[in-house]
Amino acid sequence: MTSPSPKGIVEARAAQAHPMIALPSHDELVEQLFIRDLKQFVMAELEPAQQRIAEKLESAITPPASNDPVGALRRQMEQVESFGAWLSLKRESQRQLWYAVTDCVERQAAELQALGRIDNPKGSLTIDPDFQAPDYITRGDIHLMPGGNAYDDGTLLQGAVMDRGGAVYMLGRNGGMLNDLRGQTAMAHLLTIAPDIKPARILDMGCGIGTSTVPAALCFPEADVHGIDVGGSMLRYAHARAEHLGAAVHFARQSAERTNFAAASFDVVYSCAMLHETSPAAMVNILAESRRLLRPGGVAIHLEVPLLHTFGDLWQELSAELEAQFNNEPNWRGALSVDYAQMMRAAGFSDVRAGYQATAFNARLSPKKFGDTSDGVFRSWFVTSGRV
Amino acid sequence: MTQVHGAAAVLPRTPNRLDPIPGRRSLDDQTLAMIVSLASEVTILRARLDACERLLVAANIFTPDAVDNFTPDEAAQAARERQRLHGMAKIFRPLREAASAALAALSAHDEVQP
Repeated sequence: MTSPSPKGIVEARAAQAHPMIALPSHDELVEQLFIRDLKQFVMAELEPAQQRIAEKLESAITPPASNDPVGALRRQMEQVESFGAWLSLKRESQRQLWYAVTDCVERQAAELQALGRIDNPKGSLTIDPDFQAPDYITRGDIHLMPGGNAYDDGTLLQGAVMDRGGAVYMLGRNGGMLNDLRGQTAMAHLLTIAPDIKPARILDMGCGIGTSTVPAALCFPEADVHGIDVGGSMLRYAHARAEHLGAAVHFARQSAERTNFAAASFDVVYSCAMLHETSPAAMVNILAESRRLLRPGGVAIHLEVPLLHTFGDLWQELSAELEAQFNNEPNWRGALSVDYAQMMRAAGFSDVRAGYQATAFNARLSPKKFGDTSDGVFRSWFVTSGRV
Repeated sequence: MTQVHGAAAVLPRTPNRLDPIPGRRSLDDQTLAMIVSLASEVTILRARLDACERLLVAANIFTPDAVDNFTPDEAAQAARERQRLHGMAKIFRPLREAASAALAALSAHDEVQP
């Protein structure tokens, strides 16, 4: 027999980070750990060999035989059989993730639905049944999550899939079962640039299941906190999850490109890793909407994954391009290669910043470090901010 | 709408938009997916057996011939059949998807025929 997993198997709801998350059985947990380890294996054991192959092929491309060196490298790599096998296994590991998590959620559907019925909620939920999700959301299921972000079957189960799946997808590097470090980091950035701010009204755009919204509500308990996104199921789950975590949040199904909130009605508008799931045109609209919604003195914050130019080599750029295409990240290249400072100024913001905020485990207690350079993936996040 | 009470909940399983991977035959990917599923199932099975063995040994009730001498009753046989069918749906999912896609393509072709 092999030795037991050092992480152990803990299935009691009380032992989880929040009571809404779908709990795995013994077999389901082993399956999810297998997928987590498979993803790690693909990334740490298989990808380095592809990178070394790329470095050898890359040397044949320079001096500049092409004004599209990433495309030239890609065409060469596509002739290498192990490259295709690596890419197939990488995508299959993602498909396995959703398959396994959906099993886990479907098994306890009735219990999760019951947990979602909240008496006397502190926050609220508004779902417009006529809402039409933007085409960049519907033309490919983001992260290969079957049904997609806009899915709405009248239950909260797709939200439960997204929550459990997100925790496995992030390999525990984003705040474990709470998966909330991006929200904590956005709030840490706010406190870095405005240490004494006391916002009365905060909006999280593209809130998903509220992992980034709850940190705002807990960091600023006096504030009126709102979260918007495109999926009815996700938002039902977000509402229940926030209530179980003791956070008062008002969730609504709306597009971040054009909301129904009044102009100049918020003190803080922010998003976390949302822009790369939109489109180049939508990014412009979202920054303009952020500007419209803020009161004088208000702050907009948009957090993203590290920008492409900080990766520094062709393989990393190609790897990012493959992630965009084969993991359905609709605006990966657009969001990761623009000049955010210029875009924010063009949207009418002043006091514009663009740089890297150190990952915060707790927005108020963690060190407030913001600068020009990335500390690496998951150790810091790209952030742009501006004031009205 | 997903039914939660009465019938079991059924959520989507196949994502919209799976771009073909250059240089890979569809069957290559189907085979790989099946191997990953099998590896997953074997891993789960080993963990479960490991847990059982440890519990039985700890309880001092496990004997080496207990499994070989075990005969499942009717309920156990039904449960084991459900487990087998679930495993098959998971493992051979790529073949079912490919056949459905081929059928859909043929149906679309038929519709445009005079």
